[in-house]
Amino acid sequence: MEYVQPDTLEAAVSRLGRGGCTILSGGTDLAVVNRASGLKPECFVDICRISQFSGMELGEEGLHIGPCTTIAELAASAEIPHCLSQGASAIGSPQIRNAATVGGNICNASPCGDTLSPMVALSASFVLVSPRGSRAVDAETFFLGPKKTVLADDELLTDIIIGREFLKGTSAFKMLGKRKGQVISQVNAAVWLLLEDGVVAKVQAAFGSVAPVPLRARQTEAFLTGKELDAGTIHESLAYVKQDIRPISDIRASEAYRYRLAESIFHDVLKQAAGLACC
Amino acid sequence: MVIHFTCNGKPVTVDVDGDMRVLDVLRDVLDLTGTKEGCGEGECGACTIILNGKTVNSCLLYAGKLQGAVVETIEGLSGDSAGLHPIQESFLEEGAVQCGFCTPGMVLSTKALLDRHPDPSIKEIETALSGNFCRCTGYGKIMKAVVSSAEKLRDSREDGHQSGTGLGVKRG
Repeated sequence: MEYVQPDTLEAAVSRLGRGGCTILSGGTDLAVVNRASGLKPECFVDICRISQFSGMELGEEGLHIGPCTTIAELAASAEIPHCLSQGASAIGSPQIRNAATVGGNICNASPCGDTLSPMVALSASFVLVSPRGSRAVDAETFFLGPKKTVLADDELLTDIIIGREFLKGTSAFKMLGKRKGQVISQVNAAVWLLLEDGVVAKVQAAFGSVAPVPLRARQTEAFLTGKELDAGTIHESLAYVKQDIRPISDIRASEAYRYRLAESIFHDVLKQAAGLACC
Repeated sequence: MVIHFTCNGKPVTVDVDGDMRVLDVLRDVLDLTGTKEGCGEGECGACTIILNGKTVNSCLLYAGKLQGAVVETIEGLSGDSAGLHPIQESFLEEGAVQCGFCTPGMVLSTKALLDRHPDPSIKEIETALSGNFCRCTGYGKIMKAVVSSAEKLRDSREDGHQSGTGLGVKRG
């Protein structure tokens, strides 16, 4: 098998253009899948030596996060919106977080990936590069289904951008699983909030593990916008959460339980983002 | 592919497929069988090693990732001395070892924690060990062993510092 470690984006894209490649970032998901399937990849393109792919930088458009930034780095970061570092902290174990990367979590496109709902709530933009050129895709339209994205075989996620607007305001994330640590979300939710004098100027919320892709909670957002954020409003908003999600029953939770969980989690994240005493 | 890396302080070169698991490189190529395979899918932490100062699951790590890296395994813990590392001593003293299969991973997660935080809180210890499963001890004695090894290491650092400055009263 071929294992290449390009140190420039150009070299990586050029190798991808010749075909037969599996892009390797942290490898924590890929190693499990490849071992279970017994498939041997023709070529691994390990992208983690491309220096611009690691770390975070504030630019004109907003905060750029390199796709090979580890989940542990995100979890420890005070530069990124709180919901994203909380989402990162919820993933796996210390060992997994040290190896796994944010780009890997995104491109793996598991409906329960804990950085996905924060990315959607923050309207993150993903820059995709292939031998044919470059395009930017919104987080919300990037995911097509479980493990399915708009990425072409020879296309690489090269940058994650959180717009300047979303570096203001407050945000929160919460997930629940069957135990406290090292667990996959039964439901997760992220909310980003801009309050002006106690009134919701703008809010964006997203849920994970309640549909084949992370979902924006548009009806809930519409209800909350322009309202004073008190206990009554928060309680009333929960009726809209039900309309925004489409959970199913599976090995991790039943549909009915996920509906209840989504309401409960949304209640908590909204209060947390608003800085109200909570849970 | 030819891979050069540092293993337990010594330069090592192996010629293996880039998609070989680091766990297999250590156990089957380098004969370092202290690193254990438990679940083989990143849940249990028995295969924990320290890669460039951070704990990772060697069962999920491809050999290509070792190029130029610095690896510590349980075999390297006591350095060139014949004795045990203070963390290993504490695990024995506190009875934190039963079947022993999780122990190398537990000890390495403890070392990575104490290298960063010499005086960790109980919560920090719990988080640091949350990726290491033990099915024998119930964790109580492991927690005690981590606390006691942190004390030992702090004492020895203090001694080292004091002997260096010529002040020298041992704490405790």
